Amino acid sequence: MIEVRSLEKTFPGKHGLLGHDAVKAVQDVSFRIPDGGAVSFIGESGCGKTTIGRILAGLENYTAGEVLIDGQNLATVDRRQREAVLRRVQLIQQDPYQALNPARTIEQALSDPLKVMAKARGADTAWILERMEEVLGLVGLEPQTVVHKYPHMLSGGQRQRIVIARALTVEPSVLVADEAVSMIDVSLRLGVLKLLRDLREKFHISLIFITHDVASARYVGEDGQMFVIYKGMIAEQGPTDDVILHPQHPYTQALLSAVPVLKGLESPGSDRYIPLKELDHGQSPENACLFAPRCPFAQPLCETERPALQGASGHQYACHYPQERHVVAVALKE
Amino acid sequence: MSLAATTEAPSKNSPGPAGHPSFLKNAWRIIAKKPGRLLGLAIIVLFTLMAIFGPYLYPRQLPINPNAIYAPISWHYPLGTDFEGTSNLALIITGARYVLFAAAMAAVFTVVFGTALGLISGYYLGWPDSVIMRVTDFILTIPGFPLLVVLSTIWNFGQPMAMGFVLGITGWGGLARAVRSQTLSLRERGFIEAARTLGLSPFHILFKEILPNVGSYIAMNLLLAVTGSIYAEVGLFFLGVVPFQVNNWGVMLNLAVFSAGAMSSTQALPYLLSPLLALLILTLGVVLFLDAVDEMFNPRLKEA
Amino acid sequence: MGAEWPLNANTKAVGITIRDLEVVYSTGQGQVPAVNGVDLDIAGGQITGIIGESGSGKSTLAMAIMNAVPHPGRIVKGSVVVDGVGNMLTLDKESQRRARGRNLGFVFQAAQNSLNPLTRVGHQVLDLGRSHNVRDLRGLLRRAKELLHRMGMDADRVLTAYQHELSGGMRQRVGIMFALVLDAQVVILDEPTTALDMLSQASVLEIVRSIHEERNITTILITHDMGVVADLADRVVVMYGGELAEEGETAEVLAHPAHPYTKGLIRAIPRISGDLSQAVALSGSPPDLKTFMQSGCLFYDRCPERVAECQVKRPPYESAGPERKVACFRVMPHD
Repeated sequence: MIEVRSLEKTFPGKHGLLGHDAVKAVQDVSFRIPDGGAVSFIGESGCGKTTIGRILAGLENYTAGEVLIDGQNLATVDRRQREAVLRRVQLIQQDPYQALNPARTIEQALSDPLKVMAKARGADTAWILERMEEVLGLVGLEPQTVVHKYPHMLSGGQRQRIVIARALTVEPSVLVADEAVSMIDVSLRLGVLKLLRDLREKFHISLIFITHDVASARYVGEDGQMFVIYKGMIAEQGPTDDVILHPQHPYTQALLSAVPVLKGLESPGSDRYIPLKELDHGQSPENACLFAPRCPFAQPLCETERPALQGASGHQYACHYPQERHVVAVALKE
Repeated sequence: MSLAATTEAPSKNSPGPAGHPSFLKNAWRIIAKKPGRLLGLAIIVLFTLMAIFGPYLYPRQLPINPNAIYAPISWHYPLGTDFEGTSNLALIITGARYVLFAAAMAAVFTVVFGTALGLISGYYLGWPDSVIMRVTDFILTIPGFPLLVVLSTIWNFGQPMAMGFVLGITGWGGLARAVRSQTLSLRERGFIEAARTLGLSPFHILFKEILPNVGSYIAMNLLLAVTGSIYAEVGLFFLGVVPFQVNNWGVMLNLAVFSAGAMSSTQALPYLLSPLLALLILTLGVVLFLDAVDEMFNPRLKEA
Repeated sequence: MGAEWPLNANTKAVGITIRDLEVVYSTGQGQVPAVNGVDLDIAGGQITGIIGESGSGKSTLAMAIMNAVPHPGRIVKGSVVVDGVGNMLTLDKESQRRARGRNLGFVFQAAQNSLNPLTRVGHQVLDLGRSHNVRDLRGLLRRAKELLHRMGMDADRVLTAYQHELSGGMRQRVGIMFALVLDAQVVILDEPTTALDMLSQASVLEIVRSIHEERNITTILITHDMGVVADLADRVVVMYGGELAEEGETAEVLAHPAHPYTKGLIRAIPRISGDLSQAVALSGSPPDLKTFMQSGCLFYDRCPERVAECQVKRPPYESAGPERKVACFRVMPHD
């Protein structure tokens, strides 16, 4: 169970945290995930979604807000407990090759954390081998075919499964998948996505799915929440299918428009549009909507006042002129 | 079939009990790929054997032959003789021990110190890094060779250990910096961050995760440190700074040039060339072998 | 000999005819047939998408069209005839060099590989122009600016920037600009959007589409993403293990896929709407050295529709309808 309230992360620039060149990577993000639940963070590269994942995994500190893992507040838990608490959140990164030590075999990579676990509970080598077989089986790999190999001998999909297996060795309650399938061939992605979905179901492991690909987020977390993040702030949030089928914020609509339309099977949404301007990583003025410079529907108010989250409970959006548009591809009838 | 069964059953071909070829078998395969590397390895092995067993092949006091002073190359004297009529070959072989032993000591010292400090400095950053780097900078600015010359006036370098120690103390700076910069780049890599989130100890991270990836730097540095030390020692002896020992390569050079006038007449040429040849061949051997080192430590070139 | 602007008075669409192409890679473990006996007609003025997993030979095929296969690969036999240029594999070196850039534009995957890190983008445009003997360099720069502006970028800023000052999406667009600035009639894009996020991908595809329409160029798109091909290409060619598995008009192939591999690729796409349980993962992994040695169909190990015949010999690539070809015994049974 994870609960986050008003999370903020600012990276200091040359003039420190309060200087004008400090980067507000995450601003006022709040969410709650029950056991076995799923939350997806959708956005472009550099929008702060990766930072959220890293904060939860304990790889970054945060500048404001509260993070509670299984009820324990990260800020107040004592130092010895802290490591054990953070270990419950495991991160699956984008690059499966970088995530494995090229100089260690798969067997070594998996037994490293298992040895620590074994020591803690007084188990022996047989237990370690048993657990190794178990986690490899869970991720759909034949132990004999992979344990003696080095990472470079495996395919991208296999490597990512090993990374997931390794994360499972410490019995986590939360998995943070940060662009976990982006570097795998499209044809092999579904296998890994299905694995994540099955882990949620079988072990009630909560899933935080960070991606720029809305379709895969839908696949792993259809029954969960979706957050659309733009430059560190929440643009739209709500139940996944709600956000996909009834998007209100222009940025969400742009992201949904970007999903490729399968000619022959689908026809494009009638309101589909694609903004050509690139994301500007510079500072935005305090009193304007962050998306205004790229928004095709911007009005004068958008440049002078930052919109707050509004909307019915459950589905909220930060836009002065929200309007539902049909941007998602529609299946062709046979 | 359970994993336990696989890990216990070694098969006939390469994979050992661990299931993959051991480091040595893999290293041999890489060395055997090119004849140059084999030659390099052979030379190094030859000199090592010379160093260990050489002195046992000859009586403690090498025979002198007043009738064969500066004798030319012949079957009896394959490299000629020195000013006393002692075979140059005998001198080279027995002299190898001091030279190589001191160099090996220096190299070991450099590697152990340089690696440990580089790893700690690069991984922890903060004040350990500042302190260690200041010390390293200091060491780097000390000119090793002149220091040795100065020290030799108060210290007797008769024992190779002493020479190795001083060479090592002054030489670890470069390696420490190189290891530190490698560690700095490695610590940002995914697998190191994963090790942290998995709760693995810093000791494990430094020595089991990072160190194997710095292996090739260290091995190369080790070999180069050996050759560097040899030159430093020989240079010292050439300058006549240390106690006189007849079979010392550097002393031989010194005598050949200054006493026998080898630079102006051809008579004592074999006496001059013998140690030079030994140095040349040894360095050649190291350089040829060095070609294999990078591959040996590159995990991507390992085979299942 | 200089060249005037515009460079190509002939605006007829350029087609490419590939016959019996074979490219082999010499690896430590043996010879890998990266492209094995490919016969392909790339229609002028169309967008042809070549789809395959890593190691399917699609990038090798693209480079073979330019006769630029890197060592340790080499073209063993075949012909690549580009309309108006000739057989790229038999032309003299100088004509080949001129064809690349002038007639054939290539956009590399992860475009930073084609951008010189030490020179500003604008200078590289000029270098490109000079090596192709363009006399009006100022005009060339103007064209570059126009193209960049079309792609939604601040042209002046980009032209004066170094490669590392631009984001991934921007670099890719600059790569496309390089391929188009000399008015090439054939543009080959190798995994143009693989390193990009969804929005950048969509904008790059949109740009390719609009420029393609405007100039009637022949576009060849190489990718492993069925979604990209389905969205952009007019024709799709499916490659597996160095051989062609299926080809046809995109909408037709997507709606009625014939080859089991194509079916698998389509099923493995998580869809934005509709029933999620319809998505099924492709089993197994892409072919490795052992697979290439087998005498039967390369897809045998992963095929849910295989029969005994499939293991014995390779299915021939033959016509399965108008503008349609498949290599599969289940689709085209042989007695």
